[in-house]
Amino acid sequence: MSGVIDVGRRVPKQLTLLQKLYLPEIARGMAVTLRHLLRNLANPKGMPTIQYPEEKRNYSDRFRGKHILTTREDGTMKCVACYMCQQACPAECISIVAGEHPKIAYEKYPVVFDIDMMRCVFCGFCVDACPKDAIWMTRNYEMAFFTRADAVYSIDRLRETREEVAKHGYGYRPYYPGDGTTPPSDASLLPVLAGSGERDRLRERSIPLPERDPGPGPLNAPSQAEKAFSA
Amino acid sequence: MTVAVETALSPAAERVRERVAASPVAGRAEVVDRDLPTIEVSPKDWPTLARFLRDDPGCRYDLFIDLCGVDNLRRSGQKTRFETVAHLHSLPRNERVRVRVLLPDPESPSVPTVCDTYPAANWFEREAYDLFGFQFPGHPNLHRLLCHDAFVGHPLRKDYAPGQRWFFAEEDLRMPEWSKQTDVRAGHFETQTISIGPSHPATHGIVHLVARLDGERIVRAETMIGYLHRCFEKMAEKHHWNQIIPYTDRLNYVSAMLNGVGYVRTVEKMLGVEVPDRGRLARTILSEFSRIMDHCVCIGANLVDIGALTNFIYLYQNRENIYDLLEACCGARLTVSYVRVGGLAVDVPEDFVARCRALLESIPLLIDDVEKLVTNNRIIRNRLSGTGIVTKEQAIAWGMTGPMLRASGVPYDVRRAHPYDFYDKFDWDIPISQDGDNFARYLVRIEEMRQSLKIIRQALDVFPAKGPINSDDWRVVLPPKDAVYHDMESLIYHFKLTMEGIRVPAGERYEWIEGSNGELGYYAISDGRGGPYRLKVRPPCFPNMAAFEQIVIGGTVSDAIATLGTLNVIAGELDR
Repeated sequence: MSGVIDVGRRVPKQLTLLQKLYLPEIARGMAVTLRHLLRNLANPKGMPTIQYPEEKRNYSDRFRGKHILTTREDGTMKCVACYMCQQACPAECISIVAGEHPKIAYEKYPVVFDIDMMRCVFCGFCVDACPKDAIWMTRNYEMAFFTRADAVYSIDRLRETREEVAKHGYGYRPYYPGDGTTPPSDASLLPVLAGSGERDRLRERSIPLPERDPGPGPLNAPSQAEKAFSA
Repeated sequence: MTVAVETALSPAAERVRERVAASPVAGRAEVVDRDLPTIEVSPKDWPTLARFLRDDPGCRYDLFIDLCGVDNLRRSGQKTRFETVAHLHSLPRNERVRVRVLLPDPESPSVPTVCDTYPAANWFEREAYDLFGFQFPGHPNLHRLLCHDAFVGHPLRKDYAPGQRWFFAEEDLRMPEWSKQTDVRAGHFETQTISIGPSHPATHGIVHLVARLDGERIVRAETMIGYLHRCFEKMAEKHHWNQIIPYTDRLNYVSAMLNGVGYVRTVEKMLGVEVPDRGRLARTILSEFSRIMDHCVCIGANLVDIGALTNFIYLYQNRENIYDLLEACCGARLTVSYVRVGGLAVDVPEDFVARCRALLESIPLLIDDVEKLVTNNRIIRNRLSGTGIVTKEQAIAWGMTGPMLRASGVPYDVRRAHPYDFYDKFDWDIPISQDGDNFARYLVRIEEMRQSLKIIRQALDVFPAKGPINSDDWRVVLPPKDAVYHDMESLIYHFKLTMEGIRVPAGERYEWIEGSNGELGYYAISDGRGGPYRLKVRPPCFPNMAAFEQIVIGGTVSDAIATLGTLNVIAGELDR
């Protein structure tokens, strides 16, 4: 906490004669722009402008671009058509039709999996919702189309291909290099076990978990965290 | 003999009850305790009560914050189908009150206007008329505001089916009555009426100003908005609590992070969920960067409008650099969708602190350059000083908040008056100015950027290197992914959250933060389902824009353009 400053009083109301004359101020302004010009000429690589499309921006590996449906090692899609992403989508741009997979371990697969890229807002909620690690995003953001029908991407355009990943790279997904977790080799094949809960599991892996509050207090009471901060 | 059961009230609500008992509507108004002290009143008493609340020395609720309608058709346990809910703030006493006006007649809901007491209520009442069909007898200009003039029905009523479309043709456009008449006076030129906008480079978004000119001077004006209305509040009623976050990004798209933070704070307060320090600090840091970004856009665009292009490029370079940081955190530059109820979507990247510190170095350099070019520039002074003046009294009466109010000399900042996250622990100043003109607003915004940098620097110093970023309450936050893949209990939580949404306990809450343009408030009503029953946004630039047609009177058209720039109107949040 601190005070209030009156910026109106800090800047003199009246300009000085030199400032009113205008020419010295022009020179001062020119000095600023000239400095920028010279610095850019000396270091053209450091210029902020990107000569798109010849040159492209280097996005982070969390970029939310075009979706891909990831595949198992045998080339089938990990998606089990559970409709979770369709339900989570705030733009209602995903439509799925489920079918029974001939291989009994896979149970279900999507016969139709369409994403309407004109509706999609690229929020990444589908990636968050997927329980099978089956939908990721890439860094591909160049998706211009000529017709509305073209904008509906079906399975053949969504299925992960090596070329696409090599060209654009992975974007938003549940795992990132260096965050201490590794993606499961094939999440869709591993069994889901009934257990005592993921808290124990995380403790086993010595990932610290904060202790739960004894109970919900009044809404406006200072939190444990706030008390700790002020101490 | 009956014994009245007195329920225990909080001290704030008890004080409100005492004052209401001393008011002319004593006995006819009920005070209940919610998240804010709430007065329930009938429509005919509302103007009397409003005047009392403003003028009584023990109340002095001088700042009109918000007014919205609520339709209780699908909500049980309510006294009437329709109600209007107003929020008032007292600047001298720093307290708040909510007034619920219960409208007894469900067929033709009507409530007298309070425009004469609170001029700020003008547009809020028009909005309630537009979206709910409430009549406001005595209102000076009761026309549709957000929906177009060929719209049929009132979309926020619960029995209005969403998805209907109404065709709007050019001849349906309502022009103000006064603009159609020619004003001929003896010995004088004829005045003429012009339209500025809707699509005009200086309107930054789509805003329509109809102005009557006498020579170069504006003698009368009316602003028409709604060109970017996309029924945010109706959509919110159709989605889960978390699914609304991408929609909030599109309110003030220049500082999308702040909208999300304001929204999830409301939901978190309703749930009683705590976000760990690390998550809250990350939100604070990115919010302050968003504020800098918003001020950069405001100042840069304003200066372009009055002919200074270079500053725009310098300021936008800051914005680009901040976008790079946001993109590294969440994967998108403009529509970030980074916050979630209970925390953030993903942890911040490893180099987060280093990136922030690099920005702390680069941003002040470019602000300095802009100051060198602008602050003592004679042309800029001539264009901005003494134009678009808003006095202190006017600013309060028009319900302004944020840089607009501070530039008129009122040191009201939500971060100070109603501290949230860690703002009360940081050392920072509120910049104000007594001048209230366009130049004062420019100076206040420049200084606010520097103060934001100061806050970020302090937040980075205490930012924990490791630790949780999300609440560990899995009724609210999605469990970690590797737990979802292998553990049945986590998968169940994940499934319930995704398919049914967060179960927010039934109730109502108004929660407010300092947005980049002023007070950004969310009024949420839950009926216990996975999504909001009603969600009202209090967009900070809405009252500012409502006052625009008054501010420009007496100035020239070019002054109006300069003023529009310093108002910082973001059509996305104005029209919602």
